[in-house]
Amino acid sequence: MTDAEPGTEAQNDGAVTAATSRRRFLRGSAIGAAGVAVGAAAGFGITEAVRPAETKVAPTAFEIESARANRVVDFYGPRQAGVVTPQQDRLMFATFDLTTTDVDEVARLLGRWSAMAARFTEGKLLTDAEVRPGAAPYDTGEAMDLGPYSLTITVGFGPSLFDDRFGLKDKMPAALKPLTGLAGDSALRPELSDGDLCIQACADDPQVVFHAIRNMSRAARGTAVLRWSQLGFGRASATGAGQSTPRNLFGFKDGTNNIHADDTPALADHVWVGEESDQDWMVDGSYLVARKIRMEIEQWDTDNISDQERIFGRIKTTGAPLTGGDEFTPIDFQAKDDTDAPVIDIASHVRLSSPEENNGIRILRRGYNYTDGQDSRTGKLAAGLFFISFQQHPDQFRVLQNRLGSNDSLNEYIAHIGSGLFACPPGVSASGDWFGKALFT
Amino acid sequence: MFSSRALGRAKVAAAVAATALVLSACGSSDEAGSTPAATTTAGATTASDAVTVDGSPESSETAGATGGETTGGSQAAGEPGIVTITVTEADGCVASPDTVPAGPITFNVTNVDAAGVTEVEVVSEQRIRGERENLAPGFDASFSVKLDGGSYEVYCPGATTERQPFTVTGEAAVTTGNIADLLQQATVDYAAYIDDQTGFLVDATKPLVAAIKAGNLEEAQKAYATARVFYERIEPVAESFGDLDPAIDLRIGDVEAGVEWTGFHPIEKALFEGKTTKGLDKLADKLMADILDLQARAKELGANTSADTKGADRYKPDEVANGAVGLLAEVQQSKISGEEEAYSRIDLLDFEANVEGSTQAFAVLRPALDEIDPELAKNISTKFDTLQALLATHKDPKQIGGYTLFPDLSDKDLKALADALAAVAEPLAKISGKIATA
Repeated sequence: MTDAEPGTEAQNDGAVTAATSRRRFLRGSAIGAAGVAVGAAAGFGITEAVRPAETKVAPTAFEIESARANRVVDFYGPRQAGVVTPQQDRLMFATFDLTTTDVDEVARLLGRWSAMAARFTEGKLLTDAEVRPGAAPYDTGEAMDLGPYSLTITVGFGPSLFDDRFGLKDKMPAALKPLTGLAGDSALRPELSDGDLCIQACADDPQVVFHAIRNMSRAARGTAVLRWSQLGFGRASATGAGQSTPRNLFGFKDGTNNIHADDTPALADHVWVGEESDQDWMVDGSYLVARKIRMEIEQWDTDNISDQERIFGRIKTTGAPLTGGDEFTPIDFQAKDDTDAPVIDIASHVRLSSPEENNGIRILRRGYNYTDGQDSRTGKLAAGLFFISFQQHPDQFRVLQNRLGSNDSLNEYIAHIGSGLFACPPGVSASGDWFGKALFT
Repeated sequence: MFSSRALGRAKVAAAVAATALVLSACGSSDEAGSTPAATTTAGATTASDAVTVDGSPESSETAGATGGETTGGSQAAGEPGIVTITVTEADGCVASPDTVPAGPITFNVTNVDAAGVTEVEVVSEQRIRGERENLAPGFDASFSVKLDGGSYEVYCPGATTERQPFTVTGEAAVTTGNIADLLQQATVDYAAYIDDQTGFLVDATKPLVAAIKAGNLEEAQKAYATARVFYERIEPVAESFGDLDPAIDLRIGDVEAGVEWTGFHPIEKALFEGKTTKGLDKLADKLMADILDLQARAKELGANTSADTKGADRYKPDEVANGAVGLLAEVQQSKISGEEEAYSRIDLLDFEANVEGSTQAFAVLRPALDEIDPELAKNISTKFDTLQALLATHKDPKQIGGYTLFPDLSDKDLKALADALAAVAEPLAKISGKIATA
């Protein structure tokens, strides 16, 4: 069934299968949908799909939605899912402050989270146990009757986990030093930054990601508290080969040159931590950077198209570079216009973030568009990009952000308001293993 | 008799040979001669702290692989029983040995790889006799319980095989407190607490009425704050008399059209917003009458409870537990948001009173809970202590009510309070289900 998923066969983790779920989407209508392209489901509303079989709904669409709902991304594996997994449509990201000072309680929480993640990603409830009439339900229930929707749960450890509280100081990777003092950090808000632990939940359904974070934060009560969290409503990157490049809320295709899941050499060179790490427990892990980037939507909307395209360095409609061709045509950074000025502006986003201009540095972007509705005081739309990237070393992000933060023309229209760096340990190998076991034992 | 908080803080006095438990969890039978479950306090079962993290993936698998075979072996009469419970995805819950002599028994639980199993219980005739929660694959846990001779089940909710018969031979060496008796005593104790508090409420309302009638605003404001405490401690009982809580405690936003707004809050509005006692005489008399009515009805419930009258309206253990949770829900709903005391802004005083009432309800149930799940009881008690300590940091004797006024609390203060509250509420909510079946 993975034949339908371009690129997924090349990886041995985050593999996507249309496995059957105990909690089957559309009860009683288990339609195998091998061969149905994922992309074709885009834009097809679930309400159209959820009709009794006897009504005249195009069976293809029904199958597509059913397959999308039932698709399972393997949780167990040598590396965590949710990194090179073809990017799902929805995100909930959350960070936690530990309130316990007992390292065994931290370990046990990670054990509970691993068990929950294993079940939720298969579309199962927290447990199959019967609830006694006098007891509160084990599982909060809002994902019942929904499929797994390619849910992935990715867990990371913030620099603060390695302070004096838990005796983990000696196991802190040198790479995990806090992300401070970057260009453009002046608007960062502490209450939207950092945390001892983080969870990235991604799926093709918003309620599935919410359910996962809700139940995992419930399991944390008494051990850890939510510090900040973010819902993302539309993927703003493409990580699967064959996935179309989505648009950010400025209306531009962003991240065309992202590292894709089938680019194994690039993943090894830029994303996964290898033997070079000073901490064995991080081998096959990756460093996650999260940045909440507010967009000054109203200002952007008044900027003229030529300026918008100059800022990005791409044509808004097609995503092609200003130097010509189509979206995936290599960019000619040397090209000059008839006034001898660079066609790709020296302060353009595409130039400043390109590997060509940054000694070949690349990162895997996995961000989401977000909105928190309106700013309660100004009435402006509170929206932007919830940037997430995975890299072998946080310095990859540091270099790029220092460049962008100092020079990017886009800075006039954005502000980084939240930030976090987390060390994501390797995958959970099987039940009985858990997130970061090698760190704690 | 329950005006002291000491009940909620009762320590589990017995010490446990934690090391012995850890070792035996790994399959050693050399420790069988120690007495891991010895207790020194009547009615208190030992709480084991023997939560261990496996040293390596191998050790976890080893524990799982050997657990189902000979670990523990057969015990000679008189020795404390050690039982290994191994939980696997494939086979569910397996206890070894499955027959032990009566007396103190320590259950060492290893969840090898069953992601859907979060707890294990020892059950007889639908009653939980002992249990351990918060299991996770790759982790060990243990609990101790004294069992009389008879037939039991090891119950792992959600496991592939959920129930396994378990036999205890002979009589118990030490007779444990009967959980049903402890729960009956809990309701009697709770009735006594409620009687005390309604008495204090009556005593505190009288000066409020007097100050209003004397036109003494300052005295009336102080008396208002004093009286609120006793009401907020017992609110679930007042709510159980459907008509009384609305008459006494309705906020303006909840008053239906055509219904008269009575009780504490219109008085609060006049005293703190209008800064006057004028025109409150009738409201004050009505409040006094309603509170006397509340006291009388609570007394009747209490008398039925003490007499253990079958069929009569009385306090029930699960209602006491639900009341404890309900009080915290009150805080989460209307105190943490500053909606309860919209004019006096003494929301934090109400907060403390709700928490105190909840603590006392938990305290009366604790002897029974200590029999069923001492680890859970200890956890709840610790979390209550944390919450109370956090509240104490907001004490301000200069303010009416003795706490920082709601608008002066920062967002950070409120988040910390809400987090500490949720940390109690989550485990506290588990009690009702345990004792309803006990």
